Amino acid sequence: MNDLETLSGAPVHPAARRMETDFNAGRMDRRSFLRALSWLGVAVGGASLMPDLAHAQATPKDGGTLRFACQIQEITDPMMSQWIEASNLYRNSLEFLTWVDADNIVRPYLAKAWTPSEDLTFWDFELDERATWSNGDAFTPEDVIFNINRWIAPDSQSSNKTAFAAISGMEKTGDHSVRITLSRPVASLPEQLYSYTCAMVHRDFTGNWPENPVGTGPFALQVIEVGRRAVFTKRPDYWGTPAHLDEIQYIDLGPDVTTHLAALSSGQVDLIYRATIAEYDLMQSLPNIQILSGKSANTVVMRMQVDQAPFDDIRVRKAIQLAANNQQMLDIAYRGKGTIASNYHVSPVQADYFPLPAMARDVEQAKALLAEAGHADGLAIELTLGNTQGKWEQDTAQVLQQNLAEAGIQVKLNVLPATQYWPIWNKVPFGLTYWAHRPLGSMTMDLAYRSGGSWNESHFASPEFDAALDKAMALVDPEARKAAMEDVERILQDSAVMVQAFWSEPMTAAAQNVQGFVLHPSDYYRMDSIWLS
Amino acid sequence: MTLGSFLLRKTAVAILTMLTVSFLIFLAFEVNVADVAVKVLGQYSTPDQRTAWLAENGYYDPFVIRYLRWLGGFVTGDWGLSTFFRVPITSIVFPRLGASALLAGGALLVIVVFGLGLGILAGMRAGSLLDRVISVFSVITTSIPDFASAVFLSGIFVFWLGLLPGASTMISGFSLRELILPVLVLGLYSMGYLARITRASMVEVMGTHYIRTARLKGANPARIVLRHAMRNALITPVTVIMLQLPWLLSGVIVIEVFYAYKGFGSLLYDAALNQDIYLVEACAMVSVLVVVLSQILSDLIYGWLNPRISLGAKA
Repeated sequence: MNDLETLSGAPVHPAARRMETDFNAGRMDRRSFLRALSWLGVAVGGASLMPDLAHAQATPKDGGTLRFACQIQEITDPMMSQWIEASNLYRNSLEFLTWVDADNIVRPYLAKAWTPSEDLTFWDFELDERATWSNGDAFTPEDVIFNINRWIAPDSQSSNKTAFAAISGMEKTGDHSVRITLSRPVASLPEQLYSYTCAMVHRDFTGNWPENPVGTGPFALQVIEVGRRAVFTKRPDYWGTPAHLDEIQYIDLGPDVTTHLAALSSGQVDLIYRATIAEYDLMQSLPNIQILSGKSANTVVMRMQVDQAPFDDIRVRKAIQLAANNQQMLDIAYRGKGTIASNYHVSPVQADYFPLPAMARDVEQAKALLAEAGHADGLAIELTLGNTQGKWEQDTAQVLQQNLAEAGIQVKLNVLPATQYWPIWNKVPFGLTYWAHRPLGSMTMDLAYRSGGSWNESHFASPEFDAALDKAMALVDPEARKAAMEDVERILQDSAVMVQAFWSEPMTAAAQNVQGFVLHPSDYYRMDSIWLS
Repeated sequence: MTLGSFLLRKTAVAILTMLTVSFLIFLAFEVNVADVAVKVLGQYSTPDQRTAWLAENGYYDPFVIRYLRWLGGFVTGDWGLSTFFRVPITSIVFPRLGASALLAGGALLVIVVFGLGLGILAGMRAGSLLDRVISVFSVITTSIPDFASAVFLSGIFVFWLGLLPGASTMISGFSLRELILPVLVLGLYSMGYLARITRASMVEVMGTHYIRTARLKGANPARIVLRHAMRNALITPVTVIMLQLPWLLSGVIVIEVFYAYKGFGSLLYDAALNQDIYLVEACAMVSVLVVVLSQILSDLIYGWLNPRISLGAKA
């Protein structure tokens, strides 16, 4: 028997009790159990949800300056962030209602507790009464309501508009409590509130944060020069546990990761944002650094816009999937350091993953489908990409190009610089897009494939899919949710929206004296736990 | 032609060149006003916002009027705001140009001292072992492109020996150590080329009648080289050096990006990649200005090196 407690002191949600029974009976693993409990604001023994940032073996040492090689992009409004690098800059000064750690367990942050109604349509969030803004104001329910209203406003351009489309109302229920009402049950609401576009800004925010960088976070912005550097210093008056570092200097070393590693190797920086498979051998050869890698749901999808010719014919899309050799793409483009995928964009590392049978390659069937679709003499298409995460994206596309040639499909690669790809990523008929990790497959599905979603780049629209997704998102029980995701994944795979060949392993490197740095699968880096030995 | 009238004539030609280039630049970047609005306001701007911004900034005026207004702004120092860096363009172009000038100065020093030195040494004793060694060295450095030697030198001095820093951001102020690798890479490539040109020129001059006469007169070999041979032998190498100048100031994009050096080349790279049209326009104008000014300078130096070259004839 486990000792279940809610953070708020409210009665434990019935779903938590059912999961407890399954867990005790050995039908659920501990990690899934803790994760699902965390959505409901429930902890085992009252301690497992308390923030545990350190992950460190030694006693942290305070002080020092950390130099972090990372692109310095313009930051204005966190809800409009499109790059995680930019969101990590905000993350030093702006905080979130919840925090999802590297193990994908939701933990208290600005909200110290949350309690859903039994049908998961009302969520009561209790804010930490200690939380204050750097200008001295208290963090209040008005701040929460102000932020969420901005996200879901009719003219909002934020991806949050789709992610939180189920929010139908908000109400201040006390000096430090707010109720969020949903039009349909969403079990993972606390998890979604840590999406990188969900940083809380002050209720007087006017649209350009660096002009008035008020935040609740442990660091204060001192300088930001786009393309050059950003400097944050420790806030002595921070409301929570103080950070260890005195200062963080973000240094823009340009797009070449080899330069980042050269700077790391020669002691000019202490940490780099991300390395790719292209730098793997070089990293291995450097004696004075620590390499961090892990599993995540990072991937590239070569998605087809289902309303654009020739991709409006499902036979053409299926032929492309059948001719693609996903294993070869993984082996050549990512040197096998990843996990094979099967064209439905839900990863084995995501808690709601349901494993579908892998699609077998069948070039002859691809040719037959093409002939049936009126392309017996072959087909010429163009794939646009931007190498936004590195050259391996192009390598992946080149393998696909060779694969499809065997079926008579000639692919012209239109390779653009990353900065020129992002403005058109959701406009090109056939494009290769990098998708970052989300803790749940349903979160990706909601953003990328729900009918009319703001980041639905494939224009895929299926009421059947939407209904299946709604059903899955309403379930707390991990096993039930996985089972419900089967329909979601199958509809997407059967609709042949994309070639999604593999999941790439994230990797990065740090100097030996950097402690407490944990590779987050989403690359969401909280810097308050890091210290220098 | 007097120096004054030469400078006047060259300045007039330079202005005409700048006007022509400025028109072409403006035509290329701002003929489609809808594109300008998207690039300035971003892809998520609404059509209404774009229309209002275009009207507010006079983009519905005739093209020629817009061009003259833009040109006027450029001449008076109003170069607009960078859409990527979000700062006034003048506040970023000149510091970056200064940084590139520092890099170019260092590289030029290496090129001139070693290129000319090795070329003269080799040319003085054509066919000797020293000449052959220098020639082989020159061919090697010239045939390795700068991006390749950047990788080699970083591999040796940064990753292997750990002697030099791998990036040259100069974030914490000027650092001589950070300047060494980019200067060396730029210097090596052009140095070999200059040495070969200087050698050829020197060999030619050393075979002329007046050098033979000086030798027969029993003149000191050092005097023969320094006083009689070098000045004439320098005309061709100077052309090479002057041609390097605009490249060093505005064209060393690869090296600046490789070493994360925040100079003019990397600025142009960032501007182009991020479709920062006002900044690209400004960088293009500055690059042309650098070329034009270096041409005037090289003509002046030609005249000084060889008074027989008429300033008027070169103009």
